[in-house]
Amino acid sequence: MAIITISRGSMSGGRAVAECLAARLGHPSLAREILRGAAAKLGASEAVLETKFETTPRLWERLSRERERYVLAVRTALLDACLEGDLVYHGLAGQFLLRGLRGVLRVRLIAPLEARVRMLMDGHHRMSRRTAEDFIRNVDEERRRWARITYGEDVEEPSLYDLTVNLRILSPESACAAIAEAAAEPAFAVTDEVRAEWAAQAAECHQRLDSMAEKAERWP
Amino acid sequence: MAVICISRGTKSGGQVLAECLAARLGYPILGREVAQEAAMQLGVSARTLEEKMSDRPSVWGRFSSMRRMYAVAVQTSLAERALAGHLVYHGLAGGLLLKGLPGLLCVRLIAPMRIRIEAVMDDLGTDASASERYIHELDDARARWVRVMYGENVADPHLYDLVVNLETITMEGACALVARAAEAPELAPTDAVLDRQRDFLSSCRVRLALATDPELRSLELDAEARGSLVVITGQAPLRSGGRTGELIHSLARGVPGIQEVRMGVEWFDPYP
Repeated sequence: MAIITISRGSMSGGRAVAECLAARLGHPSLAREILRGAAAKLGASEAVLETKFETTPRLWERLSRERERYVLAVRTALLDACLEGDLVYHGLAGQFLLRGLRGVLRVRLIAPLEARVRMLMDGHHRMSRRTAEDFIRNVDEERRRWARITYGEDVEEPSLYDLTVNLRILSPESACAAIAEAAAEPAFAVTDEVRAEWAAQAAECHQRLDSMAEKAERWP
Repeated sequence: MAVICISRGTKSGGQVLAECLAARLGYPILGREVAQEAAMQLGVSARTLEEKMSDRPSVWGRFSSMRRMYAVAVQTSLAERALAGHLVYHGLAGGLLLKGLPGLLCVRLIAPMRIRIEAVMDDLGTDASASERYIHELDDARARWVRVMYGENVADPHLYDLVVNLETITMEGACALVARAAEAPELAPTDAVLDRQRDFLSSCRVRLALATDPELRSLELDAEARGSLVVITGQAPLRSGGRTGELIHSLARGVPGIQEVRMGVEWFDPYP
């Protein structure tokens, strides 16, 4: 089987699909747990890491290597989790953090704006339509900017993903079934060779992280 | 069970996927033949119709009534074939022509340029550079056609239910996952879905009747059928004796199953 990363906009059904896949394939579904792992590696709080990792850096921050360290910590935590076994990751930037690695199925979930707005208007959010629309647009824009600045990519570009699923007609369960089918493809098989590749990448990340920590201590 | 429309760039494997899906699901398959059927209905050559359907519209041709008529004719032929509730279509603009049809699954295939170039080199015997140019030219022409006719970006993933990247997913894998999606209960042909598919076809037939009439051809009229009722919208000139209105009524009522015509047309004075 495979590691599955799910990229999605806010309120696009990512969690429901990730949980369905996790139940269907018997893998853990992870998002914040990876951030917690990264925070532990850095000796930082989860809140600080969340701010540093998930928000678009200001101009002066782009010049410092601090951000890079936070992103690297999350990549390291995710690679470590992958080495423990197959998983479904539905946190931020999975498609970038595991880019180029074999055995990873990169999925993008999209949903019509109206359905996403409804999710915020109904349920426990109870937002007004205007507030819900503004919220979704702001979060989408923030993530687009983040990806553009951090990775130089447009997060909406379909070629970044192996599969894009639109939840305009398909339910999360049907999306889950189609994604599970894709995960069974030979290209995503986690062989010993693939696992060795991940281990080498993880080791390199740990080394870079240690080296950055040393430099940060010397020149805080 | 679904009506599957496959969109793809030049030499991106659309026909292979369509054939695989048709064999796997036991659905009929349809490609360019739909244009031939539509051409026969209009009494024009298939070549003329295909040119109108796929060429870049000229500045003056953008709003041409002939272009609209050809598109409506193809839409109607396609809707006729989709009425059985299961079909694999791999011709031009299926998802846009059948937009709003219940039970529709729109799939977009993307393939790495190197594979597409190899396919053109094999087919046409051209070198890599000429093959790449050929691909870009055809892709651009189709993208422009979709933009002009429907105001959409053909590469926009929001137009599709699934976008499959053949860089990593094999054709067999793509076929398996699309087939799985086609079995989704949301796409099942319930009585309500079949009713709406019949309504879709009736709407197309009325649109075609209006678009092919010499007196109405130049007007931008639309039709939405629900059971035996059809609502006509758009703009039309107010002529003495209500001739235009009568003609619209008569043509719409000539479509099988339509008994009532409701006019939502905005009338304007052609000689103010």
